[in-house]
Amino acid sequence: MGLTGKMGRANEERPAVLAPSPKRGDGRASGWTGPTYYGRPQLKPAPFNNWVVGGYIFLAGLSGSSSLLGHIAELVGGPESERLARRARKYALLAPTIGSALLIEDLHTPKRFYNMLRVAKLRSPMSIGTWILMTFSAGAFPAAVLHFLADHLKAFRWLRRPAQFVQAPATLAGAGLSVYTAALMSATSTPSWASAPQALSVRYGASSVASAASALMLGERSPKLRRTLATLTCGALVVEAAASAAQAAAHRAKGVEEASGGGWGRAETIFALGLGVLAPVALLGASLVAPRARRRVLHNAAALATIGGSAMLRIATLGVGDDSATRPEISLRFAQPANLP
Amino acid sequence: MNMHPRTQEFTASVLDGPMRDESELTAHVLVRPGKSYGFFTDTTVCIGCKACEVACKEWNNLPADDIGLTGDSYDNTGALSANTWRHVNFIERSGDGGVRDNDQTPFQSGWLMMSDVCKHCHNPPCLEACPTGALFKTEFDTVVVQQDVCNGCGYCVPACPFGVVDISKIDGKAHKCTLCYDRLKGGLEPACAKSCPTDSIQFGELEVLQEKASKRLDELHARGVETAYLYGVPGSPGATGDLGHLNAFFLLTDRPEVYNLPAAPTRASNRVAPALKAGLATMLGFALAAAVLLVSGRE
Repeated sequence: MGLTGKMGRANEERPAVLAPSPKRGDGRASGWTGPTYYGRPQLKPAPFNNWVVGGYIFLAGLSGSSSLLGHIAELVGGPESERLARRARKYALLAPTIGSALLIEDLHTPKRFYNMLRVAKLRSPMSIGTWILMTFSAGAFPAAVLHFLADHLKAFRWLRRPAQFVQAPATLAGAGLSVYTAALMSATSTPSWASAPQALSVRYGASSVASAASALMLGERSPKLRRTLATLTCGALVVEAAASAAQAAAHRAKGVEEASGGGWGRAETIFALGLGVLAPVALLGASLVAPRARRRVLHNAAALATIGGSAMLRIATLGVGDDSATRPEISLRFAQPANLP
Repeated sequence: MNMHPRTQEFTASVLDGPMRDESELTAHVLVRPGKSYGFFTDTTVCIGCKACEVACKEWNNLPADDIGLTGDSYDNTGALSANTWRHVNFIERSGDGGVRDNDQTPFQSGWLMMSDVCKHCHNPPCLEACPTGALFKTEFDTVVVQQDVCNGCGYCVPACPFGVVDISKIDGKAHKCTLCYDRLKGGLEPACAKSCPTDSIQFGELEVLQEKASKRLDELHARGVETAYLYGVPGSPGATGDLGHLNAFFLLTDRPEVYNLPAAPTRASNRVAPALKAGLATMLGFALAAAVLLVSGRE
């Protein structure tokens, strides 16, 4: 039977497109099994450098969540949290500095980076993100400077209170900075990103918090605070694992899960899930029963694994998206009427 | 063909300058700001001559993409790209598995050709995604990239549900069909439509085109071509998922996937709010959890 045979009948009553999509022998609605155009891609993949953009998304999450956690610690954590808050303010500078540089590096006409500031558009997550990063930087930089002065010069000690106020916008923008990147990816036509907006967003948020709590745990001397941060990391990793499960379920429901079958999909499983979630949870679990002297090593190992996994999650998700966009059997399946909202 | 009476004004072999409102003579339509214009591509009369591809490249001064043979029927263009704004699809559907047989269908005898182009969506995902405002809606209701504003962020590329927009490796900016914005401004019909020898590509006011298309569809149905349908008019495939209608729409005779078109594309920006809300709620949850942990951990 040629292509016409299938269509001719389907068209008798209603438009071709509304005919039920062909299903696989095993009844699973995975992938498009109907005709493609010589197997050529139906969509174009995002022209991003996955390592550069993934690196930015990771730093944005780390900085944003660090600022959020650090400021909360400063407000409610008492005097013993002071050093933690100071480290958090330093991590908060990563996104505005290295992160911005990565973003500009990935532009195809970098010298025009400032055109991002021409407009503000609520329907463009990249525009939203630009302004979140601007707000964040406008809070994080002065706060770091004021705190530096207050900490190192006796004459400026009074600056501590105003510095907290200055940091407030960075704290709020930090929450946005941790998750807007997921909205940015979901608001595309790339099947594996577009098919699970909420799950991807929760996953990125949890990964951001886990990486920030881990980074803050690395240099923490107080065993009590380290335990608090370890608990927070562990909680965030559990949420991240739940969100990945929800994301996988959404991918299956929309028939695009095959996109995760390639190299990037394997990288996501091994590094984001294995190294970034399972390994640190196991290490943190081990730290509960380990002798006191070993705990710090286990905490630090868990923190490094979490941070590495968090970076790889962003890079691999970008790669899986590219795979889903370039494979027509996935993008044509995603664009079936059954998947309409 | 009935000629427009105004053709009598231009009888000289060499003209002093461009004709005023030339589109009235070539496409029977006046191009005026504030109205909606588009393309109706009737694939049943496409003969695959690729005049549209050539005219587009000539007028817009676009370089060639890959020079070579793809092995995919007569389609050696492959896909729309930063340098290719019209692309003729060739689908050979005689026989099973690519083997020719003698049992040809009487209509279009086993061949499908379709000149693909930017759809100029009513709610264009590329435009909505653009963070610089380089992509905009023109006074002719078409979607154009301002080359002096685009900074090549590339976000419009994955936003497009049709795989149209592309970043040029030559100049690092996003490029796609402009529906000949410059020609429209000068009262000229877009190059591809003007060059189309069978009127498979028709340029005009959107409402008029949609009416013409619906008449053509009825005519085809009456002649027994039951597979014919419109792609991109309100309520049809292609105009799904809050995209609104497509200003460049098509008459097709096989399912959209055959032409490499999505059956039910969606408006990408509708996913911004759900994603942001879920993410911010997550962050609020973690902030509260962190506060509780820190307070309970205090000495």
